[in-house]
Amino acid sequence: MIIPSFTHKMAAHCESGTITSLLNHAGLEISEPLVFGISSGIFFGYFHKMKSFTFPTFIVRNKPGQMRKNIEKRLGIRFSTYEFEDAAKGMAMLDHLLGQNIPTACQVDFFYMDYVPSWERVHINVHFMIVAGKEGNKYLISDVYFPQMVQLEAASLEKGRFAGGSMSPHGFLFHPNTIPPSIDYESAIKKGIKKACFNMLQIPIPFLGIKGMRLFAKRIVEWPKFARDTEHLSHEIMKINILLEDQGTGGAGFRFMYATFLQQAAEIIHQPQLKELSKQLMIIGDGWREISLFSARIGKNRDLGPDKLRKLSELIHDRADVEENFFRNLSKAIN
Amino acid sequence: MKEKEGFIDYPEQQMILYVEKEDGKYGPMQTGSYISANFMDDYVLKRKNLESELREQLSLGKISPIKYFMVLEDLTLSELSARARIRKSKVKKHLDPDHFGSVTADELTRYASVFNIPTTNLLQVLLINTGEQFESHLILENKAKNISINQTPTENPYVVLTKIEEKNK
Repeated sequence: MIIPSFTHKMAAHCESGTITSLLNHAGLEISEPLVFGISSGIFFGYFHKMKSFTFPTFIVRNKPGQMRKNIEKRLGIRFSTYEFEDAAKGMAMLDHLLGQNIPTACQVDFFYMDYVPSWERVHINVHFMIVAGKEGNKYLISDVYFPQMVQLEAASLEKGRFAGGSMSPHGFLFHPNTIPPSIDYESAIKKGIKKACFNMLQIPIPFLGIKGMRLFAKRIVEWPKFARDTEHLSHEIMKINILLEDQGTGGAGFRFMYATFLQQAAEIIHQPQLKELSKQLMIIGDGWREISLFSARIGKNRDLGPDKLRKLSELIHDRADVEENFFRNLSKAIN
Repeated sequence: MKEKEGFIDYPEQQMILYVEKEDGKYGPMQTGSYISANFMDDYVLKRKNLESELREQLSLGKISPIKYFMVLEDLTLSELSARARIRKSKVKKHLDPDHFGSVTADELTRYASVFNIPTTNLLQVLLINTGEQFESHLILENKAKNISINQTPTENPYVVLTKIEEKNK
């Protein structure tokens, strides 16, 4: 049976979409871009070498789990959260919550979600989706990346919830508990923007924020030495497109969704300057999209010589310059 | 990005893109994946080539089955060790075909669980005739014309039922 009155909705990103869907179900009308912006979701980080990645990579959002925590802090919403060492107890708690008609968000390893097409499946422990019912041995899943609700075998869900490795989910579950009768959106929006500007401009870590973007631009020309062969390099270069466009960003590495947030925020807090900045960010996003398309093209054509990687490096450097300027202006506008 | 520039007709993989609507407002639009729509054949080709190269190395005894799956599933040594809950030094040994023989049945089961395959598939490669040549059934894009292979787990963690049947029967 499916939890009554639960409505499945697609969204751009799994964490912001899951939070939005649960809050909407609990009676709070809030959009995904507002959730994303208030929780300071926009970010950049470059990882040249890390134990858990086989190849250099980058991220375009804040730390997984942080969106929920920031929404809780800034909107005054309380979420109930659960973690388990014992898988049987973790599955029993999920059934218990479903029995109380509570749609519940789960953190899982994406790889074990059988409803995901083979080409999309990767081991990543930070996928979020909502369990909204159970029929026999199958759970009804509202995964914001899919147009309709899907079914998942209990064994696969358990495997995904209790996968080991970095950022292991430990069966993590959450759902909204209390929502305050009135919310100070102005304060929440300003805090969200300030923190995003801090993360992009001032965080004192050389591979994060704008500094991370410049490091990415500098180091991408070294990628061939990490690759097994040309096909491997082609795959990793084409993954730039996937990370910016396909892996739940709403396009251009979340820049389009953040622009939407700024447009909505401008109306809520009556600050027209944010509307102007949202237009600028849309254009900046188009530049990221150019990087995505360029990466896909050179990857497909195996045209991965030093000149093409230098060109890619220049395009990323250019984004770092325009985004530094953008976030400085955004910071001034909000202070 | 304008709404009309963002639309991709690819029902197999849908996603949400934030775009500028005709009235100037920004908002979500459901569309298809650009990269999947345009480059899926290239992805499948690379995947098949990688699997075939690893299978050859596996058959020649140059790599162990653990290494074969670790590379296919894009896992690092640290990540595999943490997921299988087997010491890193031990996993390192199991990657080496000369030392793979020291692996225990329990360890094989743990690896198989991470790779999401039946334990028996760590000791065999199922090949299917795709019409042109024999290719691994692991690559789901490899489709056999007339048969289907279904592997069903049993209560015994070391045993899987492999059912090979003619399609449409």
